[in-house]
Amino acid sequence: MINRNLAKVLSFRYKILALVLVLLAAGLVLLPKYVKHEGISPKELLSNAISPERYISTDELAHKIIEQDPSFLLIDVRDEESFKKFSLPYAINIPLKKLLDEESVNYLDQDEYDIILYSNDHFYADQAWIICNRLAFKNHRVLEGGVNEWFATIINPEKPTENMPRLAFDLYSYRKAASMYFGVAYPEQARPAVSTTNKTKKRRVTVRKKKKMAAEGGC
Amino acid sequence: MGPLIPNGFIPDEWNNIIAIIIGLAFGYILEASGFSSSRKLAGVFYGYDFVVLKVFFTAAVIAVIGIFYLDYLGYLDFNQLYIHPTYLWGAIIGGIIMGVGFVTGGFCPGTSVCGAAIGKIDAMVFILGILIGVFVFSELYTLFEPIYDGYFLGNQTLMDSLGVSPYWFIFIFTIIALVAFFVVDQIRKKVKKVFY
Repeated sequence: MINRNLAKVLSFRYKILALVLVLLAAGLVLLPKYVKHEGISPKELLSNAISPERYISTDELAHKIIEQDPSFLLIDVRDEESFKKFSLPYAINIPLKKLLDEESVNYLDQDEYDIILYSNDHFYADQAWIICNRLAFKNHRVLEGGVNEWFATIINPEKPTENMPRLAFDLYSYRKAASMYFGVAYPEQARPAVSTTNKTKKRRVTVRKKKKMAAEGGC
Repeated sequence: MGPLIPNGFIPDEWNNIIAIIIGLAFGYILEASGFSSSRKLAGVFYGYDFVVLKVFFTAAVIAVIGIFYLDYLGYLDFNQLYIHPTYLWGAIIGGIIMGVGFVTGGFCPGTSVCGAAIGKIDAMVFILGILIGVFVFSELYTLFEPIYDGYFLGNQTLMDSLGVSPYWFIFIFTIIALVAFFVVDQIRKKVKKVFY
């Protein structure tokens, strides 16, 4: 049994297929063009920006450093001069100007370490954070308040007054202990042996280049 | 997201396995569609069978349309795809040698292996010829090296070198393909039928 209608349609099959091809190709020409942007979408960026994960407090950072947590990189986005004058222990200096240099990107675009950005306050660090996030670099955080906050809380913690809650005293003693770790001497400690140099050792970090292979092929 | 392997959607280890599967499928379809017959392949030069031209032209058109739709929809990054490097004179001279080999031998390298697999003696002789050619080429490599490595134009596509919008290029390319199909069909009708 031959289905006559089907046979009729099928006799046009090459023309139909040709038409389909032309339509598909014409579709490509007629589709509205848009400029593709690299990195994450604005919505994603917004959700990262309002995430509480975005900032890390100085207390948390001090804890990480004292515990010798190996999982994070501290990155100083201030210029070299300020970095030489004072920087946090183990920090790496990537001035904001050089943020997108190839060498810097090797540090920033990787997901083995958590990256903590800081500057004097968190203004420049925030800018660096936004640029890095926009480029879909992972695990970036900003030190809340930057170096100023670090001084105000860790190096030179404010002594709580008597009418403050106990938590404030706990925090103070924690911060005081931390500051002693970072080399601050208190008069009540009579031991002159405590060194007051705040020398920043540079931690060596091996950063593997991200593998980006082009697909190869051939006939 | 794509290409899948370089972007880590499929682990690198699968690379060769997938290549083998695609290779098997390719060989099977070549054989199933009659590409292991040297008479059929040579038909494109004598005008009694244009299947080779139609198949490869269709494959190119479908692939390029598909790739650009995937690229447009964001499933594939066109810029990450491998683009074969252009060595201008190497390609021209190699193309001529390949064409002469094709019309005299009746196979291209892939189909000769396919033909040999189903026991065609001419295909086996053809493969022997390929091996001799490879041997001669490697022995005289220092002589050919300036042409082989020279005239390098980079990993260029036609769209780069012509400087046209890829979408218009694809559209025109499709029209050319369809016109070519129509024209070769007219030629085939005029040429005396050959049974093979």
